[in-house]
Amino acid sequence: FEPEIPTPPMITGQGDVDELFDVKNAYYIGSYQQCINEAQKVKPSSPEKEIERDMFLYRAYIAQRKYAVVLDDIKANSPPELQAVKMFAEYLSSESKRDVIVADLDKKMAKSVDAANTTFLLMAASIYHHEMNTDAALRALHQGESLECMAMTIQVLLSLDRVDLARKELKKMQEQDEDATLTQLATAWVNIAVGGEKLQDAYYIFQEMSDKYSSTLLLLNGQAACYMAQNKWEEAEGVLQEALDKDSSHPETLINLIVLTQHLGKAPEVTSRYLSQLKDAHRAHPFLKDYLAKENEFDRLAMQYAPTATA
Amino acid sequence: MLTKFETKSARVKGLSFHPKRPWVLASLHNGVIQLWDYRMCTLIDKFDEHDGPVRGIDFHKQQPLFVSGGDDYKIKVGLLTMKIVKIYNNENEWSALISYVSYFFLLCSVLTGHNHYVMCAQFHPSEDLVVSGSLDQTVRVWDISGLRKKNLSPGAVETEVRGISGVDLFGASDAVVKHVLEGHDRGVNWAAFHPTMPLIVSGADDRQVKIWRMNESKAWELDTCRGHYNNVSCAIFHPRQELILSNSEDKSIRVWDMSKRTGVQTFRRDHDRFWVLGAHPNLNLFAAGHDSGMIVFKLERERPAYAVHGNMLYYVKDRFLRQLDFNSSKDTAVMQLRSGSKFPVFSMSYNPAENAVLLCTRATNLENSTYDLYSIPKESDSQNPDAPEGKRSSGLTAVWVARNRFAVLDRMHSLLIKNLKNEIVKKVQVPSCEEIFYAGTGSLLLRDADGVTLFDVQQKRSLATVKISKVKYVVWSADTSHVALLAKHAIMICNRKLESLCNIHENIRVKSGAWDESGVFIYTTSNHIKYALTSGDHGIIRTLDLPIYVTRVRGNSVYCLDRECRPRVLTIDPTEYRFKLALVNRKYDEVLHMVRNAKLVGQSIIAYLQKKGYPEVALHFVKDEKTRFSLALECGNIEVALEAAKALDERSCWERLGEAALLQGHHQVVEMCYQRTKNFDKLTFLYLITGNLAKLRKMMKIAEIRKDMSGHYQAALYLGDVSERVRILKNCGQKSLAYLTAATHGLDEEAEALKETFDPEKETVPEVDPNAQLLQPPPPINPLDTNWPLLTVSKGFFEGAIAAKGKAGQMAADLDMDTSGGEGWGDDAELQLDEDGFVDAPEGLGEEGLGKEEGGGWDVEEDLDLPPELDVPVGAGGGTEDGFFVPPTKGTSPTQMWCNNSQLPVDHILAGSFETAMRLLHDQVGVVDFGPYKSLFMQTLSRGRTSYLGLPSLPCLRGHPQRNWKDCGAKQGLPAVGLRLSDLISRLQQCYQLTTAGRFEDAVERFRVILLSVPLLVVDNKQEIAEVSNKYLTGLYTERKKLPKDTLEQQKRLCEMAAYFTHCNLQPVHMVLVLRTALNLFFKLRNFKTAAGFARRLLELGPKPDVAQQTRKILAACEKNLTDAHQLNYDPHNPFDLCAASYVPLYRGRPVEKCPLSGACYCPPYKGQICRVTQATEIGKDVIGLRVSPLQFR
Repeated sequence: FEPEIPTPPMITGQGDVDELFDVKNAYYIGSYQQCINEAQKVKPSSPEKEIERDMFLYRAYIAQRKYAVVLDDIKANSPPELQAVKMFAEYLSSESKRDVIVADLDKKMAKSVDAANTTFLLMAASIYHHEMNTDAALRALHQGESLECMAMTIQVLLSLDRVDLARKELKKMQEQDEDATLTQLATAWVNIAVGGEKLQDAYYIFQEMSDKYSSTLLLLNGQAACYMAQNKWEEAEGVLQEALDKDSSHPETLINLIVLTQHLGKAPEVTSRYLSQLKDAHRAHPFLKDYLAKENEFDRLAMQYAPTATA
Repeated sequence: MLTKFETKSARVKGLSFHPKRPWVLASLHNGVIQLWDYRMCTLIDKFDEHDGPVRGIDFHKQQPLFVSGGDDYKIKVGLLTMKIVKIYNNENEWSALISYVSYFFLLCSVLTGHNHYVMCAQFHPSEDLVVSGSLDQTVRVWDISGLRKKNLSPGAVETEVRGISGVDLFGASDAVVKHVLEGHDRGVNWAAFHPTMPLIVSGADDRQVKIWRMNESKAWELDTCRGHYNNVSCAIFHPRQELILSNSEDKSIRVWDMSKRTGVQTFRRDHDRFWVLGAHPNLNLFAAGHDSGMIVFKLERERPAYAVHGNMLYYVKDRFLRQLDFNSSKDTAVMQLRSGSKFPVFSMSYNPAENAVLLCTRATNLENSTYDLYSIPKESDSQNPDAPEGKRSSGLTAVWVARNRFAVLDRMHSLLIKNLKNEIVKKVQVPSCEEIFYAGTGSLLLRDADGVTLFDVQQKRSLATVKISKVKYVVWSADTSHVALLAKHAIMICNRKLESLCNIHENIRVKSGAWDESGVFIYTTSNHIKYALTSGDHGIIRTLDLPIYVTRVRGNSVYCLDRECRPRVLTIDPTEYRFKLALVNRKYDEVLHMVRNAKLVGQSIIAYLQKKGYPEVALHFVKDEKTRFSLALECGNIEVALEAAKALDERSCWERLGEAALLQGHHQVVEMCYQRTKNFDKLTFLYLITGNLAKLRKMMKIAEIRKDMSGHYQAALYLGDVSERVRILKNCGQKSLAYLTAATHGLDEEAEALKETFDPEKETVPEVDPNAQLLQPPPPINPLDTNWPLLTVSKGFFEGAIAAKGKAGQMAADLDMDTSGGEGWGDDAELQLDEDGFVDAPEGLGEEGLGKEEGGGWDVEEDLDLPPELDVPVGAGGGTEDGFFVPPTKGTSPTQMWCNNSQLPVDHILAGSFETAMRLLHDQVGVVDFGPYKSLFMQTLSRGRTSYLGLPSLPCLRGHPQRNWKDCGAKQGLPAVGLRLSDLISRLQQCYQLTTAGRFEDAVERFRVILLSVPLLVVDNKQEIAEVSNKYLTGLYTERKKLPKDTLEQQKRLCEMAAYFTHCNLQPVHMVLVLRTALNLFFKLRNFKTAAGFARRLLELGPKPDVAQQTRKILAACEKNLTDAHQLNYDPHNPFDLCAASYVPLYRGRPVEKCPLSGACYCPPYKGQICRVTQATEIGKDVIGLRVSPLQFR
């Protein structure tokens, strides 16, 4: 229940409107180009807002894998928030430097961290999450109080299969702002993990967002995940087809299509085609890493078996 | 009370509605009678026949007549004039007229008994009664049956006018007073019967309205309605509802509840006293006459509250919420509404996600309006639907803004956001607003006095505004990309950003609208169905007799609700708007199709096309050459214009064509035009600029013949022909010019000759300019034969389509032939599948599979002991006491649950637990070589997890589809399998086809994959598939062993193999092939007896006629000599299995080893080896057996 805040007389006609709403919203629902466009359009009212705007702008570039833009644009004298974004961009852009960056980050985290720099916490947690160091990620996020920190906490908890804790965290988010885009999205993630009747709720959340803003790969794959969890394969096909039309080599779409085509009973060749596409375009994707590991495991295990007699 | 129409005139004393047409007659105090169309709001006619006030007026129920009575003691019968109705020439005209007149005589004259003026008299609608009211303070009921008996003429059919043909109208005994109703203290102004019940209502100068009841013997006062504070001038019963309407000189109209005798509504006027009331016989319309005119009104809105979602219409009718399925036309009551409001439901908002509705009810005093939030019961008995408890709150309007949120405009005109529990979640400050409308998730349309604003509820800000006054309804297209804003007399179509796309004004009220699936807005006014394209084109589709409310448009059907709230479907012809839409969207193939196939009306469409800039399309409609010509010119189609010009052959056409062609550089056409119009000058110049010297010279000749000196000279000048010029000048007497020309151009001889002719005395020889230069047009390098090069403009669709028409037809024909060939092929394949006994099998099994679902509960009971360490450590981690953060430990993933909950190998593979999966496969079906299983494992694994994105740039989240997702809870999950028996069977069919095609290696490979997939099924046990595949594989292996045929031994072996193959369990179609092979081989080997056996078996299968014939021949040949030349290891009569390794028959009773998965048989020495069929399992291994269903673990 949100406390009622008396709205001051409307001078600007905007009330308590977040001037960066469109920028943030576009970013969270995965509409990165729109986020960049909006960020370039908006005129921030204060230097703080400007930094915040830039933060989302560069993160949108990162999400588009355009790391060079970020690395070139953010200079040594840029504010600390943006330095954090740059660190994350560096981490993602080169595999070879990752160990150095993580070691450096560890050192920073060991010292006392400026908890007000939420961006730094988020970026640190993102790196740790990529490193599968969920403890460190959660520890970092624990210091922040923003909605996004909570959302990321939920995502990490879900990757740990701790739905119970994720729900608790979600409750906190809902108390802070139930209607915020991030809260809605986090609700959907948790609902998918909970399963059962909640799946339909999750679906509606994604559906509502794509109705209201625009349908994005993020939202479409969310919808597909809901459909598939409900064994609604035909419906999922439509959604994934739309996603495929938007980007034919989007890794999550391909992964979901690999699942879907098999459930639809398509010929095995169709499935392997998507797998090859995925191998072609996203060799480093965690799904493929898992996949290769499993292949090796298979070979190892298979050696334990042999016929009693040979021909 | 809703005013539909108002007039201004002198005092209105009498009123009458036409029973069918939208007309009302008003008789005025000044003697004039007016006929109004209240729907179009126009005065149709005026009759000025009376002197002084006209107090009585009535339409004839069937004829185009009306009657009026005035203070001038005259009754006049008016004939509605020809401009309104068709010519009135009924043969009964006169009798009807007479009887009608007499009816009014009666009213005015016969009633003797009142002691004062009779103010009003009315017939009873069905009985022979008359009621009258008089200033003697009484109401009297008269029995007029005597009159009726007496005057009933044999031919009278007009029962409505009571069949009285006036003869003796003034006989006093014909109307007998039946009841005298005393009770009013002053003069009675009006008395009227109830249409069905024995009731009378009266209004008097004592300011009271009285209700009376009567029976055969007596009549008595029932009750009095008090409230008017001046003389009651008129009182009537509502024709269909339990209401009384009265009006008075106190300037008010009042509505009374008949049973409670209390006032329901009051309608006041500032300055005008009311005098008379009229009710429409069929519609819910009333009219009231006052001092300065008349109003036509209705008591309440007749618009049903409805909402459309997908294929469903929800609407309110008689206190029920009903649901209509557009597809099946199934109309059911889904719930009963809570009663308690005397007002009908005003509007509805439906929420498909929660299956909930918001029903808004408007009170007369807006501030008392309420809304109800109902959750629609999931299942309901249509005969006696549930009446769920709704949540009622006050508020003007309530509209859903999200799955679990709705917005309420409260009476203070501020906006509240509420949740499903009807609790306020937040208050939103909004710009001034008097109404809210749905605008998609999270948004609302706010209406203020002069515009509509799109408002984002979450961000609390206005996104866009459009100016349009008093929007009443809002209709969104299905994809919410467009919205139609409907006001009383205007429609505006906007896009999602509320940018106005078009604006339409209507003279008649706009009622409703819906978007059709192609994005055309179909709307209704009071009397039309119309369309509007987003581009602004609009027009009439058809007329309507009564207003309807469109709910949905699909194809030719307009689904609507009428005023009685009955769902109806009207048919419309969408051709016109489809055509225009196709044009606007440049879908020329559709346009062309319609041009060719639809009957589009000529001139208007052509004019439309021309106006809208589509002359090239119009060109295809037009047959008239003249129009065709001008259209062709308009779109620059010279070829078509030329054709038309040739047909017309008019000078003006050629001239216009010439101009157009010149602009396009079509000089050959230009030439033709100039030739046709004999425009020699232009033609000459054309030849000059195109360098056509030969023709230019010809032109010169022509000019000479035509004696056109100037033209001749000009041509010579163009040609640079100096001597010709000199000659022309000389001939026309321009001697000095001729001399100068000759001299200048160095034609000395000529010059001299000319000089001679000068008369030195009278004429001077002109000086030759020494600086003169030879002026010559430059000679053309190449004459221009072709037209000027044009830019390659892609041909318009239409030109192309028209040109291609011929060709396309041919191609289609070719294609048809091809496809028919293909079908022939397909037919065979079909046949083969039909013969297949296995095709039927899966259905039965599918059912068993379903049965198994229920058996899921068994898993619960079976409940494996979970290793304690797998249990979620409760409370460990996640705690944040005192800011000290302990990272949580990992939870139990759904995949771990899967392994715990199932012993089926596939569940373990899906969970990624290969080790246990292999163990299970090994134990169950004896797999010892997992090589062939690798791709199956990996594929299966890859379908166990979906992925979805959380925050950007983070590793994605994983979803785990489960087959028992509905009721598995947190711990009982089992993965969705994704491999269905039906899929395997359809893949099996493909293998059969491959076999038929002779692609054995492919077929074998695929058969094996299918076979190996069998243990990965989750169904009830399905051994057959394994068996089928097994037999095939053995057989195909045999075929593959292509032995050399050199020696007799080898030939014998080949024959044996062929013979064995005939004993594999094959599809009939394949069996035919196999038998033929065997038959031929044995026949060649001269083993006639066995061959004959094959031949008979072959014939039993009913092969194709030619094969059958050949087989019969061979059989006949064999039967002549029923012996076998060679001894083979083949006994067709003794049942045997084939060893899949050595391909020797294993006759029944001999020791045999089987493969645990495929069931293939082997000679005992092969025990322990890898099965040849599966290449994965061990022959003769001792196993548990195939486990593909949880039922097997019971």
